[in-house]
Amino acid sequence: MPMSYYLILSAAMFAIGVLGVILRRNPLVVFMSLELMFNAANLVFVAFSAYHQILDGDLFVFFVMTTAAAEVAVGLALMVAIFRAKRTIDLDEMSMLKG
Amino acid sequence: MSSAFTPEMWRSIFPEIGLLILAIVLLVFDLIWLKQPQMRARWLGWMTSIGIVLIMGISAGISMPQGQGSVEWGGMLRFDAAGFVFRMIFMSAAALTALFASQFEALKKRGEFYALLLISTLGMNLMASAADLILLFLAIETTSLPLYVMAGFLTRDDRSVEAGIKYFLFGAITSAVMLYGFSLIYGLTGTTQIYELRSAFQAGNLPVGLAELVIVLVLVGFGFKISAAPFHFWAPDVYSGAPTPVAGFLSTASKAAGFAVLLRVLQIAFAGQGSLWTVLIAVLATASMLIGNYLALAQRSIKRLLAYSSIAHAGYILIGVAADSELGTLSVIYYLIAYLVTNLAAFGIVNLIESRVGSDEISALAGLNRRSAGLGLAMLAALLSLGGIPPFAGFFAKLLVFAAAVERGLIWLVLVGVFNAVVGLYYYLNVLKVIYLHPPVEEKEVFPPTPAWRIALWVCLAGILLIGFWFAPWYSLAQAATSAIWIY
Amino acid sequence: MDIGVLLVYGILGLTVIVSAVGLIVSRNALYSALFLVVNFVAVGLLYLALGAPFIAFAQVTVYAGSIMVLFIFVIMLLGAENLMLDEPLRGQRALGILLVVIFLAEIVLYYLLRTTPLQAIPAIPQTFASPAEIGMLLFNRYLLPFEVTAFILLAATVGAILLSKHEGPTRPKPGIQKPETPVEG
Repeated sequence: MPMSYYLILSAAMFAIGVLGVILRRNPLVVFMSLELMFNAANLVFVAFSAYHQILDGDLFVFFVMTTAAAEVAVGLALMVAIFRAKRTIDLDEMSMLKG
Repeated sequence: MSSAFTPEMWRSIFPEIGLLILAIVLLVFDLIWLKQPQMRARWLGWMTSIGIVLIMGISAGISMPQGQGSVEWGGMLRFDAAGFVFRMIFMSAAALTALFASQFEALKKRGEFYALLLISTLGMNLMASAADLILLFLAIETTSLPLYVMAGFLTRDDRSVEAGIKYFLFGAITSAVMLYGFSLIYGLTGTTQIYELRSAFQAGNLPVGLAELVIVLVLVGFGFKISAAPFHFWAPDVYSGAPTPVAGFLSTASKAAGFAVLLRVLQIAFAGQGSLWTVLIAVLATASMLIGNYLALAQRSIKRLLAYSSIAHAGYILIGVAADSELGTLSVIYYLIAYLVTNLAAFGIVNLIESRVGSDEISALAGLNRRSAGLGLAMLAALLSLGGIPPFAGFFAKLLVFAAAVERGLIWLVLVGVFNAVVGLYYYLNVLKVIYLHPPVEEKEVFPPTPAWRIALWVCLAGILLIGFWFAPWYSLAQAATSAIWIY
Repeated sequence: MDIGVLLVYGILGLTVIVSAVGLIVSRNALYSALFLVVNFVAVGLLYLALGAPFIAFAQVTVYAGSIMVLFIFVIMLLGAENLMLDEPLRGQRALGILLVVIFLAEIVLYYLLRTTPLQAIPAIPQTFASPAEIGMLLFNRYLLPFEVTAFILLAATVGAILLSKHEGPTRPKPGIQKPETPVEG
């Protein structure tokens, strides 16, 4: 397939991820949209890795996956902690810190 | 691809190895003293801090880079004076933060806190010397992940956990955007090495407009780390919600790490696009100064005030980056050193007051000079240094930054900076007015400051005065780091 | 190009887009998570087509496997399936608008990019990106980053345990422990 196929696909995924981050307020869904954005970047890496025939891009994706796993663990732990404290994870309820 | 390890490779990561060992030692001692919280409260902070100072000393002895520096670990790590100077900055901040944390009831018994502090510092060290986008991305994540946890460390306190979540979400969003930028960089050039990108970009194989896009995407990530507007939304909430020593660490070391990366990436990888990014940086600087200073005027909480002031200071420092010259780089590093001691002192004092009065309102500081003349004077020095008043560290730092901009003809930026410095001075003086002229408030209970806290504050104050009076050593440090970045 | 191949790529691409849209529009967080799994698997298949089998399988095991299990676990633990929410955070929105502007610029740029010779991906040799080759690179050139991931996982493990540990007598019943950090397969 031509490069443009992968680039368009990844750009679309990235845009949808950004929209999810903007429009949704459930932090879990925001977080999932974030994973979509990371995935879009990964697709570009792998596609260009094949295009240039250099493995660096594939390796980059491997490292991104590792950090994504670590990030998810910490992020979800934070959400469990806030839920324990407030019985809600609605970001709108977090008005305490505003103003 | 080298098949064997060379001594140079080990020397290049000695401080990181030391920090990792120290982190593990702390976790082990945490277990040994599981049943003796008072032992942990007394010793963990000291162990961390003395350990870091030892590592700094040994690194200065054996892992000082010689000459122009070299690239180690298969092109991953740049072993040069810039990396060395920034490492010293981060490790000093961590050592001071560990001492200040021993004044904070909920942190001082927790070995995990100190271990996370060390791992975060380790990540910053790698950020300052990464020569490859892969290591750079990993280093940024190594820095950020422990900081997210540290911001949300007080799981019993809603405000702290909320600060953790906000910091985490903003951090992850900006890091995803930055990663997309990295992926395009790799796609366009076929390499992830920062030092090869320069020639790849200059070869002129860039489609029109794509360089702009890539730089903007990457700047989103870096802008978050240095808390520059418009990526500053997290800062006030996180600084006021997170434990105070963590806020101090975030505003100094984490910001310095962001600038270390910004300098290296912009001035090496994007050296050919200078005319483009200097404009972007100048816009960011202006926005940060204006937003930071004007919103700081309306704050009633001292921590939020310091947060907005830290956004404004990111703006002043960005002026030095926008100058895109040797003097500019030098001024950025000098400013970071001065800001480090000044802001850590300010947050340290706020930490003590908060534990005594139980509030972070500015009014809690009322009559501080009558409650303790020494503390009043210390806060005076810190605030005047933040405001850029002559005998203190902040003055010479601001002077250098403005001089760098004048040298490059960015007069309008200097005018904006000077104007903002005056506005900044107004709210710093306002706080001083509360300290010196308002009647003192009742203190709930008087905790004497711990010896660790005293020593950390003395070191910061000595730094504020020394950096203000006796520039030579700091100037030559900044000079060494600058020439290492500007070799290419 | 063969019409059958085109059809496969078309369906894959469509799956990626539709599942991504499904993620952000579905009101139930659990459905969102399942859409994300579909998305990850589809992208994993694309990796396979791009000659990166190791990454493809890591994608399925790590992303679609362990990470999504964590997500679904937490969604069900917190009962967060049906939070009806409409208005985003202040700062997030500003940041997001900026990003969308950037993205629109990107679409324009893409058309500029079409004029450059960046078109077809060359044929990929069989040995390219084989697990053995990736392993060789990981333990030679990428040894330092590989070790750094160990610190990241250490910090994440310490952090996740610490944040989700239930301490203090406020609620005596034992808290539900969060599982450990997922480790690379």
